[in-house]
Amino acid sequence: MAHYYDIDDIIMEGELISVSFHVAANGVGLDPGSETNCVEQGSKVELPFWLAHELHQRQAVSINVPACFNQKTRKEIQADAACVDLRNRCLYFYELGCKIAPMVGDRTIGSFLLYTFTCRYKEVLSKAHSSAFVVAPKFLTLLTKEETQLYEAARSSMAAFRKWRLGGPRFEKASILGKKRKPND
Amino acid sequence: MYGKGASQLLKELSSSEPGQLKNFNTDIFEEVIKECITHHLALQSLMRKIQEEGLDIQTTRNADHFGAVIHHLSLMRNKRCLMAYVYHRAEIIQSLRWKVGPVLPEEIQEKLKYSEEEYFRNHSAALMEYISELDLDLTVDMVPPKDPYIQVRVLDDIGFALVGDQSLNLTLHSMHFLKRTDAEQYISQGLMEDLSGS
Repeated sequence: MAHYYDIDDIIMEGELISVSFHVAANGVGLDPGSETNCVEQGSKVELPFWLAHELHQRQAVSINVPACFNQKTRKEIQADAACVDLRNRCLYFYELGCKIAPMVGDRTIGSFLLYTFTCRYKEVLSKAHSSAFVVAPKFLTLLTKEETQLYEAARSSMAAFRKWRLGGPRFEKASILGKKRKPND
Repeated sequence: MYGKGASQLLKELSSSEPGQLKNFNTDIFEEVIKECITHHLALQSLMRKIQEEGLDIQTTRNADHFGAVIHHLSLMRNKRCLMAYVYHRAEIIQSLRWKVGPVLPEEIQEKLKYSEEEYFRNHSAALMEYISELDLDLTVDMVPPKDPYIQVRVLDDIGFALVGDQSLNLTLHSMHFLKRTDAEQYISQGLMEDLSGS
């Protein structure tokens, strides 16, 4: 269970997934296709994960597997995992996958996630340690949030190592003040 | 879609660099609170409807019940988002006291809401009280220095200031040999530069 104030967890739970309602619900404007202010039984609606998850626990909806875990994506990952643009498909690919796997009852999602991660992990680390800073932005646009954090961690550890080896001033200006230039500069 | 504004608030929080503050987003914040009030009213009217139909509110599982559940969940979600937003800003504000010092520069001050400024002042006062009780300044560097004195260069026209037990003329680009503990606050505020390089 993630921390209550965990920003990444909260944003991840905002991902839209499509569900089918087993029951009707009155007085809610969730279904854009419906004219009345209610959701009918059997209708397919896109809901954010936090709502879908709770309604699934009450057996009110069934969840359809999101597009980022379908066969097409799996084939692309098998072809060359490192080049697939996962950020565009789902920024929280791994986190959402872990949460959604037990809910849709698809046993292959777990191994698929693991395979994806191990293939891409190697690439992320080697790029973080070797590539010059100018090359990085293009490659960074393919990464999910988790991979970006790994990349940043690898970079900052390299920077810390360099600082330790070469030395530098121990005191620095508080980083929050560094952003603005003075008007007379 | 329910909870959209609240997600937007947090996305803004996560897109800013770690440790940096942005202006308090009063517009969206109040919009979310309004959304909460609408959810609350809808929830109440659905519950009333169930009761008027003579059904037991604990066990009924009809369309009204699920409508009410959705409104209830939306309220919880919005609450979590708003709390997280305020909580993370409060953490940053707390860290400012340790990094920058008891007085905030104007460009940061204008990003804070009134209640946040008050939070900063109270946190600062509590810390000062604890420091005087311990008789030990907790905000100085944790690593013991090799040399109690350091060479610094002044980066801003400070003018005459009382440093340690003597008054110094800290003009722009002048260099000084100061006690490390006296220079620390100036360096963290960006008014001086450490030249000793270790």
